[in-house]
Amino acid sequence: MKNSALIFLSAFLVNNIVLMRFLGLCPFFGVSTAVETATGMGMAVIFVMTLASWITWIVYHGVLLPFNLVFLRTAVFILTIASLVQLVEMFLKKYYRTLYNAMGIYLPLITTNCAILGITFLNIDNKFNFMNATVFAIATGIGFMVVMITFAAIRERLDLAPINPSLKGYPISFIAAGLMALAFLGFSGLFGLS
Amino acid sequence: MTSTRNMVLTLLIVAIVCSVILSFVYSYTEPLIAETQKQMTLDGLKQVINAQEFVEIIPDTLWRAVDSSGMLTGIVFRVFPQGYGGPIPITVGLDLDGKVTGVRVASAAEGLKETPGLGVKITEPEFKDQFIGKCGPAVQLKNDGGEIDAITAATISSRAVCNGVKKGIETYLNYLEKPLDKKCVFSGVQEFVEIIKDTLWYALKDADTVGIVFIGITQGFVDCIKFMVGVGTDAKINGVKILYSNETEGIGVVIREEEFLDKFKQGYPETITGATVSSQALINAIKDYITRYKEYLK
Amino acid sequence: MNRWNLFTRGLVKENAVLVLMIGLCPALAVSGTVRDAFGMGLAATFVLLFSNVIISIMRKKIPNEVRIPVFILIISTFVTIIDYVMQAFQPDLYRALGVFVPLIVVNCMILGRAEAFASKNSIINSILDGLGVGLGFTLALTVMGAVREILGNGTFLGMAIFGEGFKKSPVIFMILPPGAFLVIGVLKALINKYVKKETQ
Repeated sequence: MKNSALIFLSAFLVNNIVLMRFLGLCPFFGVSTAVETATGMGMAVIFVMTLASWITWIVYHGVLLPFNLVFLRTAVFILTIASLVQLVEMFLKKYYRTLYNAMGIYLPLITTNCAILGITFLNIDNKFNFMNATVFAIATGIGFMVVMITFAAIRERLDLAPINPSLKGYPISFIAAGLMALAFLGFSGLFGLS
Repeated sequence: MTSTRNMVLTLLIVAIVCSVILSFVYSYTEPLIAETQKQMTLDGLKQVINAQEFVEIIPDTLWRAVDSSGMLTGIVFRVFPQGYGGPIPITVGLDLDGKVTGVRVASAAEGLKETPGLGVKITEPEFKDQFIGKCGPAVQLKNDGGEIDAITAATISSRAVCNGVKKGIETYLNYLEKPLDKKCVFSGVQEFVEIIKDTLWYALKDADTVGIVFIGITQGFVDCIKFMVGVGTDAKINGVKILYSNETEGIGVVIREEEFLDKFKQGYPETITGATVSSQALINAIKDYITRYKEYLK
Repeated sequence: MNRWNLFTRGLVKENAVLVLMIGLCPALAVSGTVRDAFGMGLAATFVLLFSNVIISIMRKKIPNEVRIPVFILIISTFVTIIDYVMQAFQPDLYRALGVFVPLIVVNCMILGRAEAFASKNSIINSILDGLGVGLGFTLALTVMGAVREILGNGTFLGMAIFGEGFKKSPVIFMILPPGAFLVIGVLKALINKYVKKETQ
């Protein structure tokens, strides 16, 4: 239990996926123009990340490891995730219309999102058991969503601010993200976490 | 229909070809990767102690260092004390006297999580070379009563390294199979006369024989146990020391503890719960040896 | 001339990281030192070049419906090859790059070139395109790595360049995660300014 709590805090704050690990930067800069879209994207990431962690964990420990096929990890994981996202999209479209409306359009965007694949690799590299992999995936997803929404709120204000034309758009966003990362650096050493 | 078959066929062929290529690459590189990793561990070990070969005692944790002629030169162990940003991987070498021969702190690329520019200075020679030649209580920060200078603005990291090295020395010192001073098992004796080479000695006090000291060996739970015993002419045990044992970590190792070994002075102790095999083996062996060497006690 | 343009387009004009803003994750994550940045760039170039070649060769035989899975399979094969080769021969670099080596597979730059270029063009052109884009990626990473290593560690490829004094107390901020964001932000601003002047 204590272990799970530490994994949660570490993945959520100390090693925030976007600001500290630099995974999932494309949606972070691409879809964070408004708080509403950021929320939808964040939800989709939490959802897919958890599902992907489960399924890749099972595939790795149930198939790849016993049959000594670890060298197929990269190929198998990405194809698994891609098909998973397709299935989820079709399923939501048919049975959960409201949920689909909230995050459906973001699902195809995250198929080749390095955050998802990165987390499934880290689950294996960190030798997490199924429980810890789940906690890790959920915490990482929440960390992604929180940072995403905060950043979208900042960008909504940045749009109104008088900024030097050279800095407009990406440059000022990078610098704002840098300041956020600086703030998150303050979490390092929290409970001795790394 | 043909197009569907075509699709499936293409995918299948590509997947099979890719898998075959990868399995070749894997089977070719895997031994190389294992070899590289072994070499890297070995290089890390060689940085902290002057030795040719290393015998692994506890996997990835403890090694016995041996020089080219096969003589033991010391031990090397790894510890992971909690630093500011996470566990700090440290490799430490000890010579036969239990003095530090070198300390190596893993770099950031190898998993050190300390603050760049501050905490990571524990990897620099100015800090880590302070440990060389020190032992016991000296391995502490000056503020804590030791002899190590902390890094400015990185006290937590510096203290973590000290604690790790100190704790490691305490834990693994027993694995140093060094020629123990025979006075350890027979206090108050000035001279020893060898009867059987490297095995049995007379203990002389004021030119009188007051007892014998012998080195014995027995089978423990995991591996052999090598021990040294001092016995007075009255057949009373003066002291027992363990020279080597490799018993189960956390259970069997209690036979090394002074508390248990001191009991021999008041007659044979009871076996230790949880380490029955190890302690019983030791007790029986000491009894046997004393019976065997009885004639020397007259 | 046309072919030269093909090469320089990916290298400069449509530089993946600094102009198109793709492949940002590895660009920010492993640009702490020149060595890591350059190694990452070359690894990605290797994958890009060879997947471009293979896809260009096979372009007429892949049914349109399954082209994306086939591309992904081919790319992930090269990624796994570089993954194992690096582990065997460059273990230090591999440890420094960590999870970003297998993650080359989801670098949008690579799948993007396969889909937009290699699946429609000849082998020679695909090679030039792959080299251009890959080396452009390497260039961008190396520039970032140089700025961050020089300022943040006081060294270039491990050598102290502003003397030992600066090496002892450099701008640590630069090699920390926030420094990566700042460096690419400033670089992008400079490019914006420079490109604007040119077009006016």
